[in-house]
Amino acid sequence: FQAPLYHYIVEGLLVVWIIRLLFFKSYKIHDKVPLTTKEKDELIEDWEPEPLVPPLEETRAVSKPYRVVSGQPGKEIVVDGYKCKNFASLNFLGFVENERISKAATECVSKYGVGSCGPRGFYGSFDVHLELEKRIAKFTGTECAIIYSYGFATIASAIPSYSKRGDILYVDEACCFAIQKGVQASRSNVVYFKHNDMEDLESKLRHQEMLDKKDVKKSSVTRKFMVVEGIYMNTGEICDLPRLVDLKYKYKVRLFVEESLSFGVLGQHGRGVTEHYNIPVEKVDMMCGSMEYSLASTGGFCCGREYVIDHQRLTGLGYVFSASLPPLLACAAIEAIDIMEEE
Amino acid sequence: ENGFKRPAKLQQMDSPLKQFQEDFEPTPLYMAIITYINYGVITLFGFLRDFLRKHGFEKNHASAEAGDMDGFVSLYASFENFYTRNIYNRLHDVFNRPICSAPGPVIKIMEREFSQSGWSYKFTGKVLDGIVNLGSYNYLGFAENSGVCAEASIKAIQQYGNGVCSSRCEVGNLDIHAELEEKMARYLDVDACVTFGMGFATNSMNIPCLVGKGCLILSDELNHASLVLGCRLSGANVTIFKHNDMKDLELKLRNAIVNGQPRGYRPWRKILIIVEGVYSMEGSIINLPEVLKLKKKYKAYVFLDEAHSIGALGATGRGVTEYFGIHPKEVDVMMGTFTKSFGAAGGYIAGTKSLVEHLRAKSHSACYATSMAPPVCRQILSSLEVISATEEGKRRIQKLASNCKMFRQGLKKLGFIVYGNDDSPVVPALIYSPCKVGAFSREMLSRGFGVVVVGFPATPIVEARVRFCISAALTEKNLQDALDAISSIGDILQIKYKK
Repeated sequence: FQAPLYHYIVEGLLVVWIIRLLFFKSYKIHDKVPLTTKEKDELIEDWEPEPLVPPLEETRAVSKPYRVVSGQPGKEIVVDGYKCKNFASLNFLGFVENERISKAATECVSKYGVGSCGPRGFYGSFDVHLELEKRIAKFTGTECAIIYSYGFATIASAIPSYSKRGDILYVDEACCFAIQKGVQASRSNVVYFKHNDMEDLESKLRHQEMLDKKDVKKSSVTRKFMVVEGIYMNTGEICDLPRLVDLKYKYKVRLFVEESLSFGVLGQHGRGVTEHYNIPVEKVDMMCGSMEYSLASTGGFCCGREYVIDHQRLTGLGYVFSASLPPLLACAAIEAIDIMEEE
Repeated sequence: ENGFKRPAKLQQMDSPLKQFQEDFEPTPLYMAIITYINYGVITLFGFLRDFLRKHGFEKNHASAEAGDMDGFVSLYASFENFYTRNIYNRLHDVFNRPICSAPGPVIKIMEREFSQSGWSYKFTGKVLDGIVNLGSYNYLGFAENSGVCAEASIKAIQQYGNGVCSSRCEVGNLDIHAELEEKMARYLDVDACVTFGMGFATNSMNIPCLVGKGCLILSDELNHASLVLGCRLSGANVTIFKHNDMKDLELKLRNAIVNGQPRGYRPWRKILIIVEGVYSMEGSIINLPEVLKLKKKYKAYVFLDEAHSIGALGATGRGVTEYFGIHPKEVDVMMGTFTKSFGAAGGYIAGTKSLVEHLRAKSHSACYATSMAPPVCRQILSSLEVISATEEGKRRIQKLASNCKMFRQGLKKLGFIVYGNDDSPVVPALIYSPCKVGAFSREMLSRGFGVVVVGFPATPIVEARVRFCISAALTEKNLQDALDAISSIGDILQIKYKK
């Protein structure tokens, strides 16, 4: 066919235009122009950081200085020069002033010195640590126990070693600060239920069960844990353990009980909230306690079945990467447990 | 005190007192290949044995779930414990050795007998006596059960009891805590100091008080787990720079200030550089003059963790600042622990008065955790007294320095690859292969020396090593015997890689 000449010219120009568009570099209006070194230096000079901490006057305006206690913080205590009766420290069984414990600790210093100079994995395991773990397991009626050198670090290291990203933790609203830190370190999904309200907890568990039915594959690898305290440090209430054990088996959620305040206090022999309610201790997956309140020593422990507790020996951060408990405090704790068993 | 002189004016940064010299020889290629092959064979056997155990051909010695736990989601992923079951268990007797004496230069180890390829053990009842301790953190030899410090601790038990049962801001602040903080501040030559009951908790509970959301933390590659946890709990953004590499740190600082926060490009609120004085796995010392130069140029803050260097470096044991001749007021936050050189437990943070008062008010540890036990506090006070004000302290510090030099030169002469700085009290010698690591430790124990071997995951996978911790309580004879034993084992296992 034949076309008019102008048609060919227009088409030819269009082809040339297309080739130009394809091969010639074009500039994007929104591209960032890289900064020159001089501009970077100016930015660095201009930048002003905040002060590391607020100024001294501001801190002093909102907080008061510590009270200084002189002498033994026993039943009678001298605070800032005033002699008072002690209703403030958590010395439940009065072991701070106990002569027998002081004598045992003194013997220990003469044998082992004060510090342990190493973590548990590198010559920091003493025979008194192993003895204390055995005694705690025997006293609470569990298979196995593990000792930490600081009460706060116990629950804060135990929770992240089991619960990881993607797992679900059901935690009481009024739980203590150590549990909150443990939960934060674990990066799991947290569901808070109203303080000591079993109905609220059950409704949340039921809701999760419904979601699980829709996504069976995901729910078969999502671990679920409930973390409660024996006696809540913030409110002083006791948890409803029988109901919690029922919920555990009904909704297949593991139960961790944190017994810092209730160990040595509740129950006929001081074995904690499980003895108080007459529930066999095997029903609880893991029981954490602190030796800093009733036993008047330092440190904490976790006890339960060997299957559960042994895992923390390699993954509990506060156990693996920290020096072990000084032997004299372990000896004092053993003596305190002896006294608890005898009297 | 003790003939100690502070530089009259702040030291010029251009010419640091010490020439900075460290060596990190790269892994020889053939050793890397052999190590990978080692791990490969162990892993293959691991799969094989898991298979046998699962199908019942081999008895499964691991502990099991309770009988009534059907329907519960399994607690551990099956692969999570692969390393524990198949690799760690073979070396079970090398770790967690229980001792029954003070962790001094010579210890008594309780002998254990392992059965069922590492699953279970029992005590034979025998105690191995006279084992030379090259593993505990006993740098100045204060792990003693007699002497001035032990007697002072005993008196403290009788005076105060064993524990305190209360947190610092309630009725847990005893007068000896206040005394300790004042003396520690004077020793370090800073304004004020605050102490805590546990070294690990000092880091993980106080870094969140200093930085928060909208701040940037620049942390060294090989920082300790407590620092990493503290950084994570604070909620700030964390950037990692290569170990002791000042060029990398400068590059990251520049990029951070120029680009600002990743979303929204707002400027950072503050930048905190977190470094350690002595790194315990590498034996290296931080290049502090350079870090402080960068800090001044880019207006960042420096957090220095002196867990291993306080008491061990410097002419009078005042740590890495004294080692380089820098005034401690240049470092914003100085943190340390009492576990290593003072033979006790606990940690401290020292700095300006505003920093310390802020931490006393806001620190998580002050409000929620109990304070340090009185006998431990008294031990620190008496050992601090010895270090800073007596001839005995001076003697110990000099002995530590001479022991380090002698041991490190000795190892290098024998032909071992040794990492780190010549002056650090931690001496790691490389072994690379996981199998030789176990054999080395067992052979040393049979010759009467207790050593610490570390492998994956504490170190990179091809760099398994043995880490010696030098102590001022070890005599020249101990060290010479140790070098002889290491030499003979080195010949048997062929780990003298330099020859």
